[in-house]
Amino acid sequence: MKTRDRILVTSLQLFNEEGEANITTLDIANAMDISPGNLYYHFKGKDEIIAELFHQFELALGHTLKAPIEKPLGSETGHVEDNWFYLYVLMEEMYHYRFLYQSLDDILQRYSLLQRRFNRLLQLKRLALATICDTLIAQSVMRPKTKQAEGLVNNLVENLAQTLTFWFSWSHLSYGSRPPQVVIHQGVLQLMSLIAPYLGDGQLDFYHQCQSMYQSMLESTA
Amino acid sequence: MARRKPDDKSNVADKASEIAKNIWLAGVGAYGKAVDDAQTRFEKAGVEPPKLFKDLVKAGAALEEEARSSMEDIKTASSSVEERINRVRENFSLSRYARGSDLVALHQKVDKLSRQLAQLNNALKAAGVLTTAAKTKRKTPAKKATTSSKKKATPRKAPATRKSAAKSKVKTRAKAARKTS
Repeated sequence: MKTRDRILVTSLQLFNEEGEANITTLDIANAMDISPGNLYYHFKGKDEIIAELFHQFELALGHTLKAPIEKPLGSETGHVEDNWFYLYVLMEEMYHYRFLYQSLDDILQRYSLLQRRFNRLLQLKRLALATICDTLIAQSVMRPKTKQAEGLVNNLVENLAQTLTFWFSWSHLSYGSRPPQVVIHQGVLQLMSLIAPYLGDGQLDFYHQCQSMYQSMLESTA
Repeated sequence: MARRKPDDKSNVADKASEIAKNIWLAGVGAYGKAVDDAQTRFEKAGVEPPKLFKDLVKAGAALEEEARSSMEDIKTASSSVEERINRVRENFSLSRYARGSDLVALHQKVDKLSRQLAQLNNALKAAGVLTTAAKTKRKTPAKKATTSSKKKATPRKAPATRKSAAKSKVKTRAKAARKTS
């Protein structure tokens, strides 16, 4: 691996584990066992490292968020469950760059250039979730009982997007550090419990499976 | 005469090595000349050559960057969202089978079995003295029983054949009776 890539990988790991605010470029150089000068040759400061990591995050999450907009999930395989599995993919991706979500306001304030780009991602997040909901309603997998389905979907999407954005800090606040699979699974379960009231019996099975999996995960990690 | 030939050969070899040597020296010379040339040019042009060199490095770095980003594109494209969804589905079904309702059912089965086992154990304990006493005694009678059954089995055959013989006798008698009537 190139030094530049190694710097990025190490920085991401340290930011995720220790929190972005607690890590300096010196820490990164020390962790890699390279001289601060060598690090400076590749990145002129932490800003540049964060800008590059954010760029990676933007590409990866953008790519994932565009998938359900371009083509309904599970349209090829015929599995409605693909929509639920997609939530895992999404959350795994976000978990990979969790240092951003850990102190979102703080980071966006300090790196004001990222603010607009993050907002664009949020917008894309809403659009992706709205598209999924619309498709599921069209397939009558989701059956909102009220006739004002549109307003309902908007509010539901707002709730989903909010959970998706703050689920990690919520999990961290309430439960401290947990194994990644538990954190991610809990996030999916939270999203599913928002959708569950509108689901038919067939898809409720998945929700129940999620619940029992979560229980057994907690038991096995306790 | 016979001696000269090797001498000639060695001369030829010497010549060959000399030529090789010269070529090598020429190579060195050329190398040296190139170095000298570069040095003089360097001295003449002053700052220009390093600039050119820097440009080359820059161009190389840009190319490398391009190659790297296209590689990344390929990477993200190869692990498409659909593929990742499939992977999650596999993981999910695996963990579901191991942890889901199937496991609960298994637990219930194990519970039921252990309850039955406990009942059996209790029953055995209640008859504890009998069973332990019977165990030592049973061993010999059991063997006898098997041997006796074997012995019994062989003589049984004879009556069976006798019976069939008797039957056939009856049949023939009946036939005879029909014939007569």
